Order: sequence, then structure tokens, then C-alpha cells
Amino acid sequence: MRPMITSKQFGVLVGSLIISQHVTAQDMSAQVKGNVSISLTNPSNTVAWHQYGWGISRFSDDNQRLNISRLALSTRLDISSAWSAHAVAQYVPDPNDKIGLTEAYAQYQPLAQGYQFSARFGGFYPRMSLENPALGWSSPYTYHFSGLNAWLGEEVRTFGAEFELKRAARRFRSKHDISMIGSVFKGNDPAGTLIAWRGFVPHDRQSVFNERIGFAPLKSLSTAQLSRQGQYVEPFTEVDGRFGFYLGTHWSYLKRHTLRLYWYDNNGDPRAINYVTKQYAWDTKFWSLAWRTKFNAQSQLIAQAMVGNTAMGPTRGVDNDFYSWFVMFSHTFADYRVSLRAEQSKVIDKDHWQFDENASFTKGVTVNVQKSLSQQWRLGAELQLIDYEADSRSAVGRAKGQDEQIWRLSAQYQF
Amino acid sequence: MNKLLLLLGLLGGASHALEITITDELGKPVAGTAVWLTGKSWQASQLQQQKTYSMGQKDRAFTPHTLIVPSNSQVEFPNFDSILHHVYSFSQAKSFELKLYRDKPLAPVQFSQAGVVELGCNIHDWMLGYILVVNSGVYGLSDAKGKVSLAIESSQLGNAQLNIWHERFENLDKPESLPLTITEVSQQVQYQIKQPLLDKLEFLTDETDDYE
Repeated sequence: MRPMITSKQFGVLVGSLIISQHVTAQDMSAQVKGNVSISLTNPSNTVAWHQYGWGISRFSDDNQRLNISRLALSTRLDISSAWSAHAVAQYVPDPNDKIGLTEAYAQYQPLAQGYQFSARFGGFYPRMSLENPALGWSSPYTYHFSGLNAWLGEEVRTFGAEFELKRAARRFRSKHDISMIGSVFKGNDPAGTLIAWRGFVPHDRQSVFNERIGFAPLKSLSTAQLSRQGQYVEPFTEVDGRFGFYLGTHWSYLKRHTLRLYWYDNNGDPRAINYVTKQYAWDTKFWSLAWRTKFNAQSQLIAQAMVGNTAMGPTRGVDNDFYSWFVMFSHTFADYRVSLRAEQSKVIDKDHWQFDENASFTKGVTVNVQKSLSQQWRLGAELQLIDYEADSRSAVGRAKGQDEQIWRLSAQYQF
Repeated sequence: MNKLLLLLGLLGGASHALEITITDELGKPVAGTAVWLTGKSWQASQLQQQKTYSMGQKDRAFTPHTLIVPSNSQVEFPNFDSILHHVYSFSQAKSFELKLYRDKPLAPVQFSQAGVVELGCNIHDWMLGYILVVNSGVYGLSDAKGKVSLAIESSQLGNAQLNIWHERFENLDKPESLPLTITEVSQQVQYQIKQPLLDKLEFLTDETDDYE
């Protein structure tokens, strides 16, 4: 029932940056980088979820056949030896020319001789993914992220503090990097909403701070039990006043083999509801395990699996187990990169509310080929086949399954 | 013209060089070994000290990996990457830090004290480089065959100390050494490293490793 905390937190962050600017102006230096993707795609016949439709393809407007699928600006401001401020702003055309911040945080990383302690404060992505290492949390491999990371990008964000203690291989003349990560955060209570009422869908639309994302007009939302839920999610808001947390560990062997294991728990109180924004707190927790192996400088395998549970309502009237995984192979030769990804996700409805069907099942295959024309320009093509079914669709007389074949040609300019 | 000069240089060098072959305990050639001669006749010239040496960063690696410079010389740190590097050293011979952008080169750093300077990057913690600051004007790095040629003049014949250092030494601050009597300008020396070398650390990184 508490008001949204994200905007306040961001205000404090910006405020502190402005103060520091005056304090250490002589030592400061900034770096701005950006990326624009101009894309041609085949819009779906079914209106996309973020436009309150039943579609599972990001673009469904005919006038979005040719679009700027993303414009990202990433800035890094070095305030002192140890402190830096980071912000990423993004523009997406869907559904209505949205501009916003996806990350804004201060980082503390002092020089260290032995163990490296570092911390981040603000709003940022947890580093669970190995699929999204490019500018603005994008993927250098495919245009559409796996369903797993697409969901992280739209519903999971840390608004709080993250601490890391790292035993960097090189500093110990070892072959192993090991680090432990812990975070406490506010907000992120409604995370899980889209898992229950849409399911996992591979796409590349990241939510910006304070964003509201729509989903399909489910029949169950007209029932008395769910009448206080809006037909949208405000994923980063605070509803129950409780802190969430995650713990993680990263391990790497000569940077050839890398593992990242995380336990995330937003510690949501499923009884809590914000009557004004019509958002519940969801009790969402999951494991995420990401793995990457470089066979050589050209070929690598990246995989990630997530398994967890999400529930809302005083009696956990919506209670779902879920899993999602993908395996991707990527190969570079000359100026080309070819990536192939297979994925599968499932939401298992285990509650007693028969009127609210949450089960969904998504399978997908994605092929992407890109060519670097220069340091700045890249051209590429992607084909994605998605096989999706959701029980909630039958309740409104739609076929349970929906298949999509999405292709996208894209020119990317990086600066 | 350049080619001709190079050819002349090679012909000339061949007969005026101390050729050292470095091997490990098993007798296998060791690349990347730093060798330098110390002694009265082997001091760095003023010209050598006035030169500005360069330790670049390219594709998230120090280039060269190992740089040998005479003491009291200056080294610049050009960043050829489009990303920021935060280069530092905690070494006794020189401790410093630099935040380096491609388009904002910083003033060179003076290295006065002889010793090993281990370089790291606070952003890309796998990056590793060395600057060996030596009290010598005659030095070199062994190639893949473990060979290094040090050009010498006939006026330099006599006693010298041959110093040997490798990044896989257990103690980086303790080079091995060998007293040497140089009797001719084209002498050949075999040197077998006395200590077992630590394992090679060959990190395999690319641009996707930035997201740490």
C-alpha cells in the first residue's frame, strides 16, 4: 500500500550525483556510448501483449514494419578513483514511443591488491544472464532474447544495493575467478505477473523505470477475486514495504568456462495490494543457473536455466511453478557471427482458482546471422519460430495454441 | 630503402650480438623471458633514457605484454580501445593509477626505480602486463625459440652480469642472474632457468567479457 519508491530512489541518486559533481569536478570524466537498431520485421496479426492484446510477438502494428527497434544510450561518469555513476536510457517505439531509464546506479569499486570488494547502489540488472553482455543489456548474439532473459528484462530489476566480494584469478595467479554477490532491494513486488498471465515469450523489449506494461484481457480479471488487479503490471513498484534479496556466485576458469548461480526472492507478501495502482505483491522466487563455455576464440555455448515459483493473493489464489531454459551456440568467422538458440519454458498452475488459468508452454528456435561492416555498422537477419500455448486463451474462445514465425532484418549503428 | 637498412642491420647484428638461448628445467625453449646485462659497460645511454616508451591497451590486453625500459625513463599508456581502462600498479618499484580514455591521452609516467611493475586494470581484472625497469641499456625478450640477441660493441667486452626474469617465476621481484665474461662480440650463451615455472595463465576473453 506504500507509494512507489522507485522514482524517489532515482531522485536521491540523481541528487547525490549533482552534489558530487560540484565536489570533485576537476577529476571527473565521462564516457557516452550508444546503439541504434533500425529494423524491418513482419508484424503479427495478433495485437501484442503490451498493447493489451493476445499476441506474443513484439510488433503487431503494420506501421511498425520498419522501425527503430531500440536506441540505447549508456553513460559512465567517473567521479573518483573508486566511484562512478552509470545510466542507461532507451527508446523503444512500442507501444507509443517510449523513452526511459533501464539502469541508473552508482558504483563503488576501489583498487584492490587481494580480494576485490565492490558495490552498486541504485536501479540495475542483476548479473544472472550471460546472454546480454552488450550495450544496454542487449544481446550480441540474437535480436530477440530468450524467453528467460526477456522476462528478466521486463519484470526483474534491482532498486537497492548489491555487494560483491571477488577473488580475481589474475591477482592470485590462479586460473579460477570466484565471487560472491548479495543484494537487498525494494520494489519489484509485482514481478511474476506476466509469468502467470502471459507466460515466457522471447522478445527484446526491456521495461524502463516506472513503466506500466499491459497484457491480454483475461476472462479471470472480471471475477470478484481478481477485480482489484489492473490489466497491466508495474513491475518495479513497492507494494508490501518489505525488502527482497538475492544471492549469487560467479565462477570462471581462465574465462573459458563460466558459471553464474543465483537465488532470487523478492520476499513479496502475497496479501499486500496497492488499491490505487491495482497491483499485488507477488511472492516470487527462483534459481537461475547460467553457463558459458568457449571452445575456442570462435565458438561458444551459452545456456541458462531458471526454476521457481510465483504466487499472489491472501490464500495464494494464484500459485504457479515455472521453469525456463535455453541453449545457444554462437560461432564467429571473418566478419560474421552465426547464433542458434533453442528454448523451452513452462508455467504450471497449481492453485485452486479454477477460473484463473495460468498454465502456459513456450518452445522456440532462433537463428541469427550478423555481419560487421565496420566498427560502427552491423547488418543482420534473424528468424524465430515460436510455438506457444496458454490455457487462459481457451477461456475466451481462442485456440489454446498460437505459433509465430518472426523475421527481422536489422542495421545496427554503435557509437 | 628501409628493407636495405634492415638487411644491413641483420648482417651487421649477426656478427655483433650476444645470442642467448633460454630454456626451462626440461630444456624446452621459453618465450617471453626478459634478459638484461648489468655492469659498468652496460648502462643506458642518455638517448635511451630520453625516449618515451609505450605500454598500450588494445582488445582488452596490454600491448606489449612485457615492456623493458631503462630506469629514469618515461612510459606513456595509450588506450586503443573504445572503452575505459583503469590501469594501476601496487608494485614497490612504482605504484600509480590512471583512468584512460582513447581520446584523452594522459602525460607519460616516470619510472625511476629499477624493479618489476605489475600492471592491472580495475575494470577488466584479467588484464595483466609488466614493465621491467632495469639499470641497463642492453636488454631484450626471448622469442618463441627462446632466443634473444643483444647487440654489443667490441668496447664492451669483459665481465657482465646476465639477468633473467620471467612472469612465471614464483617470486617476481627476484630475477635469476649469471656472471658472464664476454670475450667476443658474437658469443653464444645457453641459459637454463633454475626454478620450476608456474603454470601459464592464458585467459580467453572477447568483447562479451566486459559485462562482469
